[in-house]
Amino acid sequence: MAGVTMDVLTTIPEAPTGGVPSPRPLESRRGRSDRIFHGGVSLGGIIVLAIMVAVGVFLSLEAWQALSTTGLKFFTTTEWQPDSGNFGIASVLLGTVLIAIVGVAIALPLATGTALFITEVAPPRVRSTMVALVDLMAAVPSVVYGLWGLFLLQGHLVGVSRWLNTWLGWLPFFEVSGSDPTDPLSSTSVYTASTFIAGVVVAMMVMPIQCVVMREVFSQVPPGEREGAYALGSTRWGMIRVVAIPFGRGGMIGGTMLGLGRALGETIAVLLIISPRFDLNFHVLEAGGNSVSSLIALRYTEASGFGLSALMAAGLGLFAVTLVINFTASWFVARSRSGADSEA
Amino acid sequence: MSAVTTSEPTVAATPPPQPQAAPRTFLPARPDAHVAPAERRVIGGVSRESVMVLLGAVASSLATTLLLFGRLTPLAGKFGFVVVLFVVFLVTYTVLISLTERTTAIVDRLMTVLLTACAAAALFALFSVIVFVLIKGFNALRHANFYTEDMSIAGPLDPLTVGGILHAIVGTLIMTLIGLVITVPLALATAVYMTESGSRWAGFVRTVVTAMTALPSILAGLFIFATWILILGFERSGLAAAIAMSIMILPIIVRSADVVLRLVPGNLREAAAALGAPQWRTVWHVVLPTARSGLTTSVILGVARGIGETAPVLLTAGFTSTMNVNPRANPMVSLPLAAYELVRSPQENMVARGFGAAAVLMVLVLVLFTLARILGGRPAGRLSKHGARRTAARSAEDLRRFEARQHAVPSIDSEVMS
Amino acid sequence: MSSPRWLRAVLPFALVIGTALTVPTAGSQVDAASGYQRISGEGSSWAANALDAMRVNVRQFGITVDYNPSGSTAGRKNFLNGTVDFASSDIPFQFRPEDGSAPENPAKGSYAYMPITAGGTAFMYNLIINGKRVTNLRLSGENVVKIFTGKITQWNDPAIAADNPGLVMPARKVVPVVRSDGSGSTAQFSRWMISQHGALWNDYCNRSGRAPKCGQTSFYPTIPGMIAQAGDLGVSGYVSQGFAEGAIGYVNYSYALGAQFPVAKLLNRAGFYTEPTPQNVAVSLLKAQIDTNEANPETYLTQKLDGVYTDTDPRNYPLSSYSYLILPTKVGGQFNEAKGKTLGAFAYYAMCQAQQQSASLGYSPMPANLVQASFDQIRKIPGVVVQNIDIKQCKNPTFSPDGTNLLAKNAPQPQACDKKGGVTQCPNGTGGLSNVQTAVKPGGSTGGGGNAGGGGNTGGGGNTGGGNTGGGNTGGGGNTGGGGTTDTLAPGDTLAPGDTLAPGDTLAPGDTIPGGAIDGGDGGGTCEVDPDTGECVASGGPDPEFAGGPDIAGATPTTIGLSSSLGTSFALIALVVLLVLALVLGPALAWRHFSKRSAS
Repeated sequence: MAGVTMDVLTTIPEAPTGGVPSPRPLESRRGRSDRIFHGGVSLGGIIVLAIMVAVGVFLSLEAWQALSTTGLKFFTTTEWQPDSGNFGIASVLLGTVLIAIVGVAIALPLATGTALFITEVAPPRVRSTMVALVDLMAAVPSVVYGLWGLFLLQGHLVGVSRWLNTWLGWLPFFEVSGSDPTDPLSSTSVYTASTFIAGVVVAMMVMPIQCVVMREVFSQVPPGEREGAYALGSTRWGMIRVVAIPFGRGGMIGGTMLGLGRALGETIAVLLIISPRFDLNFHVLEAGGNSVSSLIALRYTEASGFGLSALMAAGLGLFAVTLVINFTASWFVARSRSGADSEA
Repeated sequence: MSAVTTSEPTVAATPPPQPQAAPRTFLPARPDAHVAPAERRVIGGVSRESVMVLLGAVASSLATTLLLFGRLTPLAGKFGFVVVLFVVFLVTYTVLISLTERTTAIVDRLMTVLLTACAAAALFALFSVIVFVLIKGFNALRHANFYTEDMSIAGPLDPLTVGGILHAIVGTLIMTLIGLVITVPLALATAVYMTESGSRWAGFVRTVVTAMTALPSILAGLFIFATWILILGFERSGLAAAIAMSIMILPIIVRSADVVLRLVPGNLREAAAALGAPQWRTVWHVVLPTARSGLTTSVILGVARGIGETAPVLLTAGFTSTMNVNPRANPMVSLPLAAYELVRSPQENMVARGFGAAAVLMVLVLVLFTLARILGGRPAGRLSKHGARRTAARSAEDLRRFEARQHAVPSIDSEVMS
Repeated sequence: MSSPRWLRAVLPFALVIGTALTVPTAGSQVDAASGYQRISGEGSSWAANALDAMRVNVRQFGITVDYNPSGSTAGRKNFLNGTVDFASSDIPFQFRPEDGSAPENPAKGSYAYMPITAGGTAFMYNLIINGKRVTNLRLSGENVVKIFTGKITQWNDPAIAADNPGLVMPARKVVPVVRSDGSGSTAQFSRWMISQHGALWNDYCNRSGRAPKCGQTSFYPTIPGMIAQAGDLGVSGYVSQGFAEGAIGYVNYSYALGAQFPVAKLLNRAGFYTEPTPQNVAVSLLKAQIDTNEANPETYLTQKLDGVYTDTDPRNYPLSSYSYLILPTKVGGQFNEAKGKTLGAFAYYAMCQAQQQSASLGYSPMPANLVQASFDQIRKIPGVVVQNIDIKQCKNPTFSPDGTNLLAKNAPQPQACDKKGGVTQCPNGTGGLSNVQTAVKPGGSTGGGGNAGGGGNTGGGGNTGGGNTGGGNTGGGGNTGGGGTTDTLAPGDTLAPGDTLAPGDTLAPGDTIPGGAIDGGDGGGTCEVDPDTGECVASGGPDPEFAGGPDIAGATPTTIGLSSSLGTSFALIALVVLLVLALVLGPALAWRHFSKRSAS
């Protein structure tokens, strides 16, 4: 119908006297079911926290007797003679950290490469097989890895160590005291039972953990972004570099933290390979190393009273270091995309 | 205020029809119908050229390395051969690709080769471990009694036709079961707490839990030994070992479940909230199913770690050679512990039994994982055949309900429409 | 209607539990027929093998025993805690530990020690001379101590060569391998060292930083150059590998047998070198005494081995010892009289019938004196059914039913060539390679070239056996024994193929030397000297030095040249690699370059 006139009336109400009204507080009261849910979930969290704190408290209580005698010298002494009062975790902690660094350094590129292979490169049938195989790798017990390292791997790695020492021995951490690469009759035992060999075995154990977590994360890359990269003409590697890895950084760090936890706490495999030494040894290719867990495992049966307290103190020292590392890492994780919520 | 009066202009009169102009659209002459249609370009897949380049690079690098190692330089050693071969292969492959492609494509294919090499190296290590265990344990694995008897009747001097590790298999399964019952609900609750509850303590719990993943397994065993066995006075049993194992794997499951739950897109949660779902429904129906395959992976990771540890079991469950199905009393032995003790024996038969136990453990865990992935490993949104049938049945039910309602009640809409 | 979801999740677990529960349980708590109750023990891993065999054998009587081989100290600790019924330990309760650990204080009269298994500490070694594995190494006690305290660092040390006149020791580094975990073997070894070579041990204790706690210890102190491995498995596994040439470690004898490696023969007070065979150890333990001084609870019923260390029987092996079973003599904790009855029956069986199996397990059967002593201890277990066993009926291989000491009669005496001071040594192998002989250098005989065992002469400079008659003998007249001494050859001596000279030997005019024999430290005339290295390239077998296997090209190792200049050879290798790559890839690159140019 053409030509209709309409009257439009708009009125602006008068401002009320007494100032601008304040915003209403919005309450969101949880419904009963939600309160039960939150209660249950918090209970779970509290129980887990309580268990963890109980373990920490137990360790601290047990360790107090030893720590009170050494005080801060505990972190600087290298010998381990608790019964003469001269003990400290300087050498043991350094050895643990070195083994973990070697392990993670070898495992990280391997795990990332394998995870990317599984999610991006592999055809579907190969993918499910690879997933099962990586699971299997995570399932091999540590004692088997230790025996494999002792009987099979060590013989081959001795040659690698010698090569590294021969050609790269000018680097400070590839030095080996007591070795003479130019003398063919020199003993190869100086390359055995070293941090490097233990690190390689630990890398084999850490790799599947990292790979599994990274694979989960890479498979959750938002398809929109992935396809967007392809639409703009990038190659597969370009897409991985620009989309998948930045997205997955949080998961990569989370997986690496899990793997690092395993590397720091690994007992049996390191125990079987390492020849314990109690000095500050930075030469990873040289015979002898140490780790907190293997120290505890080796000394536990013979320790009583004060000795046991000293071992607990060593365990506590390991936690302190792990906490510091994790604090730093979690700060990184919170800032990455797969650490926070992500929008597809 | 004045009233605004508007009046719409009347519709303009239609202009008089104009004479037909010459058509401005030209249809091109149809080409000869016998011209073959354009060849369809293949975008993906493997082309013959790339396969040939790969094979050529392999052959060339193999020949070059053999030449270098055999004749021209004093390089020696198997490991060195493989390393030099790989490096020469990469160089040759790059050069071959660069003959026809540009930089981005070269980098892409090179990285593909590198990623494949990473996976191959990992697999090679795995196979080496498996073959090592199988060869050393083969003599024991051959006999059927290995899987059906326990070691109570077999001593160090007995041949491999007597005795087996059934007691260890049963012990492992029982401990794993108890461990799962304890850890899965706790770990899921904690992970949900950390991601969903928005509490201030969530970050603190996360840091503590991550620090606990570095707990050496022997300390978990010592903790349970000191509290459960010494202070509370229970005896060494499978239950104590299962609790020690749970303490050890709890942080791992919590941490990886947390990683996975944080991946769930926020808009899914917001969509559920917009539809009026309370938070527990959101978590139960949206978040957890979305993360289901990841959660299965977390549980698998934790169980894998827990099953393979010997130290906590040794301290809390003792060692025995007889079958024990009661987790609350008497020592119970698990497969890795049995393997460790058997391998330390000087008798060859016992060592073979030990490696056989390790092989059985790997197979057992593989079976458990496959089962877990079948049950829980489907990615979010995908239904199983059962689930699809159920959903279709429910939709059909809904359709019937709607139609029945429509026919039963004469609605206002039908009156207006008519 | 499909099954509910919870059922599908629970079903697999239900299957597992169902299977586990339907499997028949063996060995319940109490055996109905005989009234025996299940007992559990913990302790020494050294004795674990023997206890495992005994556990299996007593099943026929309805006795179930659980044994946890977690270590002697763990066993003693848990015995004191009351969480196990019996313990097995290599050393007694440490009232005043000499290495500084916390003292253990069992209640007086609540325990008894019973000898359970005996054996010797064996020294397993990995030594290769001229491509063949040495199986007849001999060492005096002092040399062993010096090796394990770092005083002797090379295998061709004069002291070791003095013990082995028939071998030419190679100039290879000695790698002592010790235990990294707490071990009863370490305790026995340190005890022997303290008793017999106290000065050397104390000096080592100072050097290794263990001072002032220099008593008997379960943790071997280490210095750089030593390797420590976990468990007998670790030590024997390490020594038996290809990269461990020159290693020597102490293990339970059964491990050397199992790994098929030889053990060193030790010099005893009678001047003979013996190995720790079951008979030798049993003969040695005839001199073991049990402390019967009740007034001192610390040493009451513990072993006194000084008689063993200084025994003059030619068959004695000095490092023989036995481990204890610690029996409760009071009811308490989880131990009751029913368990006492079981433990007593088990102990009787262990001391009587089970000893006949010891030898096949690598241990030594208990001699009569120790068996009798143990019967006295078993009486003290509360609840035990005392058996008056006629010790002669026990089928123990060390004594016969008619009362004669079989051991003294049947244990073989050492061979004459095992006596110290001889011109040569026995070629027979020991330990796990007892059937493999090692060729020894003969003394004063016409030993040119071939020896027993053939191939690869181990003869070397400085022949022993002075007083060879006549001209034309090999090695010449007037030679003195021992490697490394200077020999002077009289005029007219001819050296036969197979004789070599050591550094310091002088030749007089008129001596004839067949070609190729003057190479320091070489083997005999069956070897060909590599002109590049001066080494003897053995005519048989590959170089066993590295476990990595033969080279790809099968070439002789030419890495000797590295000593000249590492940097130059690296540069040369790199240059060659680059040239080859350029040769292979050059045409392709050139084609690309030129085709691009023509295309643009």
